[in-house]
Amino acid sequence: MARGLIVSQLRVAAGSTEILKGIDLTVEPGRVHALMGPNGSGKSTLAFALAGHPGYEIVGGGARLDGEDLLALSPDKRAKAGLFLSFQYPAAIPGVSVANFLRTARQAVKPGDLPPAKFRQVVFEQLELLGIETAFLGRYVNDGFSGGEKKRLEMLQLAILEPRYAILDETDSGLDVDALRAVGDSLQTLRKGKGAEMGFLIITHYPRILQYVEPDVVHVMMDGRIVKTGGAQLAQQIEAEGYDGIREEVTSGAA
Amino acid sequence: MAQLSVVRSPHDEALELARTLPAPGPPPGRFWKIDVTKIDVDGFSPGSSEARVEIASKAALRGVVACDLAAAAASHPREAAAEGTVVDWRGGKFAALNAAHRQSRLCVIIPHGVVVDEPIVVRYHLRGQAAFPYTLVVANEGAKATIVIRFEAESGVSLVSEVVEAVAAERSNLECVVMQDLPKSARIFSSRRGKVAGDAELRWAIAELGSGLSVGDVRSILTAPGAGTTIAGVFFPAGEQHLDLASEAEHPAPQTRSETLFKSAAVGGGQARFVGNIRIHRAAHGADATLRDDALLLSKDAHIDSIPALEIAANDVKAYHGATIGALNQEEIFYATTRGIARPDAERMIALGFFEPAIARFPTEGLRYELRTKLAEKIV
Repeated sequence: MARGLIVSQLRVAAGSTEILKGIDLTVEPGRVHALMGPNGSGKSTLAFALAGHPGYEIVGGGARLDGEDLLALSPDKRAKAGLFLSFQYPAAIPGVSVANFLRTARQAVKPGDLPPAKFRQVVFEQLELLGIETAFLGRYVNDGFSGGEKKRLEMLQLAILEPRYAILDETDSGLDVDALRAVGDSLQTLRKGKGAEMGFLIITHYPRILQYVEPDVVHVMMDGRIVKTGGAQLAQQIEAEGYDGIREEVTSGAA
Repeated sequence: MAQLSVVRSPHDEALELARTLPAPGPPPGRFWKIDVTKIDVDGFSPGSSEARVEIASKAALRGVVACDLAAAAASHPREAAAEGTVVDWRGGKFAALNAAHRQSRLCVIIPHGVVVDEPIVVRYHLRGQAAFPYTLVVANEGAKATIVIRFEAESGVSLVSEVVEAVAAERSNLECVVMQDLPKSARIFSSRRGKVAGDAELRWAIAELGSGLSVGDVRSILTAPGAGTTIAGVFFPAGEQHLDLASEAEHPAPQTRSETLFKSAAVGGGQARFVGNIRIHRAAHGADATLRDDALLLSKDAHIDSIPALEIAANDVKAYHGATIGALNQEEIFYATTRGIARPDAERMIALGFFEPAIARFPTEGLRYELRTKLAEKIV
């Protein structure tokens, strides 16, 4: 069985528009892949399609998670198989407390593996790491949260659900310096500890978050295709030149 | 043997009104299947409603009284005289029916300045074809108490006509909870009303979960400056259940405050109409009234009509109303499912969360837990 989150020739449409036009990508356990690209290039579509959003139609190709056919599974089964998506814009669920949501989710993906006292301890450790007050647990999921609070809650869930593969969709966007540092520290700690074997697909259009989690591989997506793949220095190149440089390089290369 | 009656007793007058007054209507919505006008008020034999009251012994020692109204009339004539001053039994078919047949009339009195921490629980044991529970609650000046009214019905109870009259005297703080979870074979007609004096507070928390048909009103009249009320409730018709409920916050006096909050859902063929009334009289300057009512439709055939009705005759008032009606939000469901929560569990969690702001208005964790459990059972 081939381990990894393996996307092959994936084509995805929203309505009648084909957005992803054949994506090939393999995220290996313990490795960090960054997926960069300008707005509208299809990065979030890839994240949603892999998580099973009903608004996206798989037109062709496939995706496997440690050998399992990901696209055949419902969104909850994909999570149980070990996939996690940190949302760019997480939904608010009024009336459902963060504590209740975390407990229910953990229980769903890893039934009965943590006694309540141990679970509480894990949650409190993560709260501290993320710089979150414990009163946060009593608030309703994302309801009236600031941008920074929403992203901290996504990181809290990531740490508590312990997936095998995590897709972080624009986790760094809209964060102030403190929130970015909190999110970055949380990721670093995770990578040093129990998340060492976790594979990451970090979607971003600025390389800011990559200062905290150095990518092993950087992909650049444009118009629904991965047009360039390289090492960490590719992110630096984008930082320096913007996407225009890459676009020119790609189009002149193709011509 | 024929009886000759020369003087019409109040009982006869009430019975005649019950026969002749029109039934509440018209039937709401085209999916509504029960014709309330067809209910024959003579078509059953009256049974009984026996009240069992749980009062903490500490409260009893401090003079809290719960007894039949006839006994209260002897010991507490002033309080007992409030019967009929809040719910006008001449004003409605089923209130008149209750007045004609109310066998045992429970009277709960909280003495001047007495604060009762533990809820006073009233359990009506309903027997026979029809039952007519009646509760009068009087919180005297500066008193504070919570009353929880519940029903246990024997099989065969098909009609319940219920009246609650609540009197909150100056500076008192009274909370009235009704947990209606009757069997589906029963139909209930209720009128629960309160009169709130200056600087007093009356809080209603109403759960309408049971019965095949529930028709009723819950109402607070804010009679003097500083009076305030909260009218909160949840209802949830499922299967073939029907519900027609009206709330009313009436502001005859200046500087009065009301908050009405209802959260409802319907599933299966469940049908409901909710009318939220706010009535601010011309003299009620400085009144502050809010009405918030949200309805969740969980199936194609379920239907809820939600009608805010604001009547405002004064100028310098604050009045707000907001209402929503809709299905579960698909993005919320998707978000929860990406956390491994199976779709039916996610839907149940989100629907329960929707009710939570109203559930939070119920005074004890026990009641809130019970509500969540019963609501969760109705969400399919």
